[in-house]
Amino acid sequence: MEEKQSKFWDFYNKNYKKLLIIPMIVLILSIVLIYNFYRVNGDIIHKEVSLKGGITVTVYYKERIDVNELNNFLIERFNNADVNTRLLSSLGTSEVTGFIIETSDIKPDELKKALEEKLSIKLNDKNYSIEEVGSSLGESFYKEMLYAVLFAFLFMALVVFITFRLFVPSFAIVLCAFSDIVTTLAIVDLIGLRIGTSGIAAFLMLIGYSIDTDILLTTRVLKRKEGSVIDRFRGAFKTGLTLSIATIIALSVAFIFTNSIVLKQIFLIIVIGLIADIFYTWVQNGCMLYWYAMKKEHGN
Amino acid sequence: MEIKKIIWNWKVLFLLFFLLISLLAIKPNPFAKGVVVTKISEGSSVQLQGIKTGEIILEFNKQKITNLDDYSKVINELSKEESKIEIVTNKNNYIFLNSGNLGINVKSVEKSNIQKGLDLAGGTRVLLEPVSDKEISDQDITNLIQILKTRLDVYGLSDLTIAETKDLFGNKYISVEISGASEEEVQELIAKQGKFEAKIGDEVVFRGEKEDVRRVCKDDGTCSGVRDCYKVDGGYNCKFEFAITLSNDAAKRHAEITKKLDVNVSGQGSNYLDKKLDLFLDSSLVDSLLISEDLKGRETTDIAVSGPGFGNSEAEALEDSIKNMNKLQTILMVGSLPLDVNIVKMDTISPVLGSEFIKNIIQVCLIAILSVVLVVGIRYRNVKIIIPMIITLLSEIFIILGFAAFIKWRLDLVAIAGIIASVGTGVDDQIIITDEVSGKEKAVYNWKEKIKRAFFIILVAYFATVAAMLPLMWAGAGLLKGFAITTIVGVTSGVFVTRPAFSVMIENLLK
Repeated sequence: MEEKQSKFWDFYNKNYKKLLIIPMIVLILSIVLIYNFYRVNGDIIHKEVSLKGGITVTVYYKERIDVNELNNFLIERFNNADVNTRLLSSLGTSEVTGFIIETSDIKPDELKKALEEKLSIKLNDKNYSIEEVGSSLGESFYKEMLYAVLFAFLFMALVVFITFRLFVPSFAIVLCAFSDIVTTLAIVDLIGLRIGTSGIAAFLMLIGYSIDTDILLTTRVLKRKEGSVIDRFRGAFKTGLTLSIATIIALSVAFIFTNSIVLKQIFLIIVIGLIADIFYTWVQNGCMLYWYAMKKEHGN
Repeated sequence: MEIKKIIWNWKVLFLLFFLLISLLAIKPNPFAKGVVVTKISEGSSVQLQGIKTGEIILEFNKQKITNLDDYSKVINELSKEESKIEIVTNKNNYIFLNSGNLGINVKSVEKSNIQKGLDLAGGTRVLLEPVSDKEISDQDITNLIQILKTRLDVYGLSDLTIAETKDLFGNKYISVEISGASEEEVQELIAKQGKFEAKIGDEVVFRGEKEDVRRVCKDDGTCSGVRDCYKVDGGYNCKFEFAITLSNDAAKRHAEITKKLDVNVSGQGSNYLDKKLDLFLDSSLVDSLLISEDLKGRETTDIAVSGPGFGNSEAEALEDSIKNMNKLQTILMVGSLPLDVNIVKMDTISPVLGSEFIKNIIQVCLIAILSVVLVVGIRYRNVKIIIPMIITLLSEIFIILGFAAFIKWRLDLVAIAGIIASVGTGVDDQIIITDEVSGKEKAVYNWKEKIKRAFFIILVAYFATVAAMLPLMWAGAGLLKGFAITTIVGVTSGVFVTRPAFSVMIENLLK
């Protein structure tokens, strides 16, 4: 085991400059993907109703229904409206508790009526929840959330630069957080996840999580003196990987078991982000920092 | 020995102090029984008995009521016929006769001071945007909130929060959260500006303002109530009527205007003027009243206002007209809103899902903690690390809940996500501390130095996380404020209270 590990670090030691190309390619690929998504869809994400206006209806209905059929029924009934229907099931069992419909094109009253007819039940405040967002509000929310992410990012960068006061290492941390967000966004787009206000909150949280490991790495490598650079690097790697894995597993489990779509969205985005973060922290930031530290230590 | 040393360390004492404060703030009472009365219908026998909102029903028809299920069971068993009802509340005993709907809304009694947000407790949330051609001042907003509050209160909805929120661009919104109200009621009550006008032809006799309307008869059967119900095409129609007292100025106007009118002779004994008194609410006609001949040119201050209610059955029509009457009375008593408002967001959440969410969240948290323990257990294989970690994680959750209870913050789903996220950073920090103090460089540095080094990393990460969360306090009209608050409180208490205590536990256990 120890032998293998050394080999790994030998490889790292020899090839860190070349290795740096990989995250750069992934980052560029992600940007291309997002740009392409933007060209096709007119925006960089699939927006949920909370960010573009419309209604979200939750119906508690214990009988198993064919979601696709219901969805098609609604699309047909409301002239090709944009409708999205999902099943709602409870924890552990596959027991169906109801379904959720999202749409930007149907009026709440009409949807309610259509559902009452289709399922031949009466919908009231015991079995029916509705969330409605005006379209202008949705748009302004979206704009604000983008600003929030931007501000959050700038504030974070400020904290990092003030703390380390060294351009290259600070830049490496900020670049890592940036790459992490971009790649996470690309993956989210790729799997077709719709994002609402809570999803954006997840991206903000990701900024915080993402730099945890970077700060750990930078502090250990630059501010410590004991051992060689590679030894400190290895120590940081062991700690960083443990905490990433602990968080990823905890949030994955939470993602699997929660029955709230709001929480599911938040956890999924953070988990994707944390996995991308392992890659960026240890390859991108790691290589840049290693390069910097070696240069400082040996002057070459 | 070690335990003693740990407990008497000031960092641990500090943690214990915070835990105690949180416990006091949360004030858990898991054995609380009964259901709380949240709303009492207008004119119901319960109202006549003097039961008030906020009373806790403990017994109903000799059956113990411990929770909402018990209550709905006895309510479902009630017969439609007139029957004897016995209610024991925490304040009094009531025995009376009742038929049909009891006219009482209840919710389960709170088992702690932790307040649940809308998506966990059920209810209606509305985000209002004031609309005006002119600049909207803070005073306008304060007035608007005051009137909305009074309106909802007069109407009988008291379990609510109204607050002003701003977004990043400085737009002003008002958010209203009400538990136990239907979407329709809320919509009518708060989005209506409530401009009431009584006109004869094009001339205004009086408006629904304090200057014109001196008194409105409400909750008094002698001058307010549903007077008549009859069958119409496609259902039933009921008519409500209540008395109001006009100011002298309004009465003079009434005299001036009616003086000019002619009398229509109907030939059936009672004669009316040739124009009607039209009642408008926000420019739509509520009712048209015939004006009897003897009111012509008279300065009358006593006027009866009326309006309709419809329904498929007589009971529905009756209920509808009581609702309409209550609304109109409320608007006339409170006056119109100083600004027009738009509903920009409206959520109505069924309480059923909320309780499922809560159960689920507790399970999810436990499973998540367990999985963290598993990962950490595999990595360190040391109970002396795992136990402090569990204690720390649970303490962090407890302190966040305590803080939320203390500032009366309503915890919603995103706030819970914030708790889980901040506890996640707690795991990160604990692993950093553990690795820092149990590293190979043991010999080189003393404990104090090691802990200091760990906290350098933790503090930088802390400031970056808080900085990233700050914009959320304002963005999105405060809808994600809960997430920002629980995260910031969580990481702050974590970094300054629980994680230092963790380092003490680890230090003493591993030394």
